[in-house]
Amino acid sequence: MAETKSCDTELKTAFPSIVQRDTTQREFSHFFVAKDLLPTIARHLHTQPGLHGRLALLWAVDNRPARNTYELHYLFTLEPSHRWVLLSTELAKDDRVFPSITPHIHAAQWYEREIRDMFGLIPQGHPDLRRLVRHEHWPQGAHPLKKDFPWDRALGRQQGEHRFHRIEGEGVFEVPVGPIHAGIIEPGHFRFSVAGEPIMQLELHHFWTHRGVEKLFEQQPLAAAVPLAERVSGDTTFGHSLAYCQAVESLRHLDVPRRGRYLRSLFLELERLHNHLGDVGAICNDTAYALPHAHCSRMKEQIMQLNDRLTGSRFLRGLNRVGGVALDLTAAQLAEIAAEIDRMEQDFSELESIIAHNASLIDRLEATGVLTERTAWDHAVVGVVGRASGLDQDLRRDRPFAAYDELSVKVVHYRYGDVRARMRVRMDEIHESMRLIREIRLRIPQGPVAVESSPRAQAGEWALSAVEGWRGEILYMVMAGDNETIQRCKVRDPSFVNWPAIQWAVIGNIIPDFPLINKSFNLSYAGNDL
Amino acid sequence: MFRILKKSLKTGVATGRHPQATQSSEPLTPEAHKKASAFNRSLAIREVDTGSCNACEVEMNALTNPVYDAERFGIHIAASPRHADALVVTGPVTVNMARALKDVYKQTPDPKLVIALGDCAIDCGAFKGSYAVTGPVDRHIPVDVRIPGCPPRPADILKALTDIQERP
Ligand code: SF4
Repeated sequence: MAETKSCDTELKTAFPSIVQRDTTQREFSHFFVAKDLLPTIARHLHTQPGLHGRLALLWAVDNRPARNTYELHYLFTLEPSHRWVLLSTELAKDDRVFPSITPHIHAAQWYEREIRDMFGLIPQGHPDLRRLVRHEHWPQGAHPLKKDFPWDRALGRQQGEHRFHRIEGEGVFEVPVGPIHAGIIEPGHFRFSVAGEPIMQLELHHFWTHRGVEKLFEQQPLAAAVPLAERVSGDTTFGHSLAYCQAVESLRHLDVPRRGRYLRSLFLELERLHNHLGDVGAICNDTAYALPHAHCSRMKEQIMQLNDRLTGSRFLRGLNRVGGVALDLTAAQLAEIAAEIDRMEQDFSELESIIAHNASLIDRLEATGVLTERTAWDHAVVGVVGRASGLDQDLRRDRPFAAYDELSVKVVHYRYGDVRARMRVRMDEIHESMRLIREIRLRIPQGPVAVESSPRAQAGEWALSAVEGWRGEILYMVMAGDNETIQRCKVRDPSFVNWPAIQWAVIGNIIPDFPLINKSFNLSYAGNDL
Repeated sequence: MFRILKKSLKTGVATGRHPQATQSSEPLTPEAHKKASAFNRSLAIREVDTGSCNACEVEMNALTNPVYDAERFGIHIAASPRHADALVVTGPVTVNMARALKDVYKQTPDPKLVIALGDCAIDCGAFKGSYAVTGPVDRHIPVDVRIPGCPPRPADILKALTDIQERP
């Protein structure tokens, strides 16, 4: 691609000292840079009009056992071309400090705090160095992703209290909510500052369900970690296991047979469908409009029962494996899916017109919880939430995986950024998923659904993989260790980037609208906390 | 209005349109039965997630949909532990949630039942041994009923909960 070349040359001309690495992966440029130059180059990538780089992922690797260094990797997606550019740097020997890019690129804020917590490396110049993943009662010096930190020794306890940002003044109240909430929801803490009704500030205090997932990956053989990936965020079982399997497949240079890839797309759309159906109902329910909720949760249940009949798992567990999928569907089963989808499309369309004609519902949703395009971009927000705020991005179209290179995905996006826009994105995507499922049924080729995986992965090699799950972009970076072990596995659920943005979407709204706004984001706590 | 009525008539009764429970939880201990008899067949449940992957939550939520409609058996979800007869706990107990779990237990009035839902709550499941996990639920609070599965299907959960309501 000419565009690619020009972006690479531009970077090299602008910064002669950077070194380009060879990469086997297409659509991917890799540059090695000195750590002091990092903020400048990152900023260039982010702000230069022709480049428009969105920080997609930032991860560290403790490479002390092999090379006595820590590695830092910054992955950018260039928005016009969707090309990936990776900047890497190394901290030599006893160096524990790296320059923060957060002052230039806001989206780096949680990543850098995460790296500090998990590796003990210090992002110099970061405006907020409070703990993020480590709650204050974790003992000093506990950085779990350091290689010399034992994975299986439960953490001790020390005294400590989280310091929230305070707003002071006459009539300002703080309202703490959580970690345990009133419904059947995961734990998280929200601290509101209000003066009268409107919210002046919301601060999140999450990571209550931190289970040490990334460290647990390092204890597993490459081929055996799929069940763990399925349990990163249960509602996205298939999306996560797919992203993990794809990464291992590219490490092992495996080509999944076409039928296997079509089935993967099919299952991914079924997962999107039942989650989106549930969300549309739940958003209505949070305005106390119970009727759509009843219908939507019934339809969601129908899809989950369909999943169960077809695969033996309501969540599509145990389906993905390295090299393809574990089970094939017969023509009769595919016809059963199509028939169910046809019935449901009719069913859902009727419900949609009921919803659209309810003025008081629309009134609650409109202009509630607005996330502007600018704020969304600054946070590098992904998925449904991004598309509702005007960010036209969808990996199924932009970086096709599974069978999406042969299917045309219509991507919708709205510009209002309010609860209604987030609901409409979901509604449109429900129809699009149904259409895709029908198309898959018509086009699915015959053949095997998986390849046997024989070639071994080289120690130290790594691969990236991206999947557009129902919430948004799921990223995995898997680095192989000796003898088919995992040296490092970086997991990035879309929730991790979208959570901070909610703090901005609620400002000026009233607390009673918070559950509604939160529902319209519907982010995972488990996937965020890891 | 007409649209809504038409929709309801067309949909019919969804309740009960689900496969039967297949897997049964462990038989109820006599002590658990004795405790449960105080609730007179109504069961107010407070759900507590102590580090689950959230699939167990999805299935608990499914109990409230029209298909399972647990309310018809007198099972309802309470918004506060102070209103609860039973705690349903999901997930391994993470280091960060251990305190909160004990607090919730203390705030639930006696007599109370503790139900460990899912493999994680029973033996930490996929997260066993991790530095961030303190152990299964019964390391922290006494557990009366265990519902295995990863996650257990809603029909199985419903069966286990209605078993609790049976007279011994
Ligand atoms: S038992 Fe399974 S489904 Fe339930 S929380 Fe644990 S991993 Fe998730």
